[in-house]
Amino acid sequence: MHPGEVVATPVVGLVGNPNSGKSSLFNQLTGLRQRIGNFPGVTVEKKAGMLELEGLPTVELVDFPGAYSCYPTSLDERLVVQELTNPEGDLFPDAIVYVADITKLDKHLLLFTQLRDLDLPMILVLNMADLMEADGLTVDVEELRHSLGVPIVTVSSRQGRGIAELRDTIGRLLRDPDAFRPEHPFYEPGASARDVLGELRRELPARNDYHALLLTHHAPWLKHIPERTRHKVQQARVHHGFHSLRAQVEETMARYDTFEPIVHHAVHHRGEEETLSERIDRVVTHPVAGPFIFVVLMLLLFQALFAWASIPMDLIELTFGTLGESVRATLPEGWFADLLVDGIIAGLGGVLVFVPQIAILFFFIAILEEVGYLARAAYLFDSLMQRFGLNGRSVVALISGHACAIPAIMSTRTIANWKERLLTILVTPLTSCSARIPVYVILISFAVPQVAYFNGLIGLQGLAFAGLYFLGILGAMLSAVAFKFLLKASDRSFLMLELPEYRMPVWRNVFTTVYQKSKTFVLEAGRIILIISIILWAASTYGPSDRMREAELRAGSQVETEQLTQEEAADVLASERLEASYAGQLGKFIEPVIRPLGYDWKIGIALLTSFAAREVFVGTMATIYSVGSSDDEFRIRERLAEERNPATGAPVYNRATAWSLLIFYVFAMMCMSTLAVTRRETHSWKWPAVQFVFMTAIAYVGAMVVYQLLS
Amino acid sequence: MPFPRSVAASAFTVGQSGTIERFTNEGLEGKLLDIGVRPGARLRLIRKAPFGGSWYVKIGRQCLALRKNELACILVK
Repeated sequence: MHPGEVVATPVVGLVGNPNSGKSSLFNQLTGLRQRIGNFPGVTVEKKAGMLELEGLPTVELVDFPGAYSCYPTSLDERLVVQELTNPEGDLFPDAIVYVADITKLDKHLLLFTQLRDLDLPMILVLNMADLMEADGLTVDVEELRHSLGVPIVTVSSRQGRGIAELRDTIGRLLRDPDAFRPEHPFYEPGASARDVLGELRRELPARNDYHALLLTHHAPWLKHIPERTRHKVQQARVHHGFHSLRAQVEETMARYDTFEPIVHHAVHHRGEEETLSERIDRVVTHPVAGPFIFVVLMLLLFQALFAWASIPMDLIELTFGTLGESVRATLPEGWFADLLVDGIIAGLGGVLVFVPQIAILFFFIAILEEVGYLARAAYLFDSLMQRFGLNGRSVVALISGHACAIPAIMSTRTIANWKERLLTILVTPLTSCSARIPVYVILISFAVPQVAYFNGLIGLQGLAFAGLYFLGILGAMLSAVAFKFLLKASDRSFLMLELPEYRMPVWRNVFTTVYQKSKTFVLEAGRIILIISIILWAASTYGPSDRMREAELRAGSQVETEQLTQEEAADVLASERLEASYAGQLGKFIEPVIRPLGYDWKIGIALLTSFAAREVFVGTMATIYSVGSSDDEFRIRERLAEERNPATGAPVYNRATAWSLLIFYVFAMMCMSTLAVTRRETHSWKWPAVQFVFMTAIAYVGAMVVYQLLS
Repeated sequence: MPFPRSVAASAFTVGQSGTIERFTNEGLEGKLLDIGVRPGARLRLIRKAPFGGSWYVKIGRQCLALRKNELACILVK
């Protein structure tokens, strides 16, 4: 390639240590123009965004997961090494923007020097410049630029300072990558590696010696190394007595020795006094006060969730109610109007109403993460978690699981130990995710009377709500213990957790997260719900023609003998038709199985559809109970309360049934997407199958016991 | 004054500090080095976590959470 010539869509990789402010920088550079997908072959969330630079084709900016070095211990880090050692791969970057925390250069430069030795065009970004003053830090950027031999840009991704300069520098680097080639490597492979490299250098698809060294270390797991080469590497390693761990330590020490003097010259710290973060940690990580603060924080979180969400929820409910009515009034009566109002609008409205709560939950979790609290929570509970066979980091998954199990399961990639990670993946879906909120809200009003104490400060229903969340956590911990004894132990387990300084949250990051996650929920869940609503509407409106005729005749005779009014007659006809429909028959078919749990065939239909995604429950209820009647479809709760057992005349939604359903929804595995993620993260169908069976079994038995006790 | 003997950091009590000399576990050494724990740095035991088993440690200017077995492989004098 000639200087000045640039490839069609240049890829720029954003790389750096965890907690270097990489994601903030990514948000600053790309705004909301991000695409979230998966890295090929693995489910590490891939964040990519488009960057328009003057005089250049659109640049793809890929946010790589945070990594400490080229010697990975977690899946996240493996991915970085995998992509950066594979020049043939789609994600191999044309340039790297390396982000380092300016206050931690003494350790953040380790990975920098390694990538530099891979001969990749690089820019060093010194982030967190806003903290320099508070840290009493002075940095001689000119000196660093000279000794490290790369363009350096000082930015504050939190305040948006230096972004324009960074964009210019990326443009210049892409136009003329050769101008920034290093003259000397930071590290030359030592004596112990020289022999093995001598044998393998030609064999390996390597750009230079250091690249070859990394391939020698990692050939056993790198995906782009062919089996034959892997075998050769293995033989050469044995033949020359190459000891991977020892060589790694030797290299790391040598690198520290090289760049430490550089940092020492250019960076000056004020003395080692106790920082604000440490003073905060005296309280927040206190052995007694710490866990207490954690519990209070969680209680506040869920309290706020319900207090704040009620107004937007009412508004959405009202909007959809009005929309349904006006559509019904405008369109001619017939199957199309029915489908639109009873199927689509009722189904979607029943779910969109919960977007406020989901957004608020993601909002809080994003703040906890941004502030740096999640790392403290992991520290506080590591020992406790270990007793349950989990890792301190599992706390992060278990907290995020309350928003959605999918990102939570993906967050377990930071757990290096396979068994701890697997246990976390298996039990995380037991924590009550936001999709259960709609189900809980509706059913709790039947399970618990609306009583409040202390001037309405503490409501019985609110307590029951908290109780359900607690039950989910308890279920998760106890299942973890059970699996701990069932599964065989494997490799080493680490804590080794960085406790980053507390920071004010960057609102831009928080809102980006909330926006992205809510959007995903609406699109993903919305699609499933829309399809299921339509199928369900069709299945509950149509049935085998002879049975439907019979149902109509039966309804007709009932109306005549009982002298019903026109309105009552319509209701009788609707319920007879529903019972004869395809959906009704399916519900009847499974009724014997769910009878001991206190459910009738209508609930059976909702249960079946919920196995795709549990939030469908409410939409299904809306559809089932609105089919055939013309009045307000959106007051599901009132409709459920009116529902009577045709045999006894007693309300269907009594205390026992409502509790039984609640327990069922706490434990049952009703989310296809979670099963799919478990499958991808564990690379086998075995674990999603185990997850599905054990959760649903607990749900069934638990619900049965509760129903039998209460009824 | 006797020559300072090196001990495993897990033998420290809260508040005690020393200088890291070397590591005694090859498996943990690489990872410790990666996150910035290295010979010559000051190590100080700040506090013990609830439920026992892990410690809040300050190494250089950085705060870390380490388990007992992780501390045990760090020799300090």
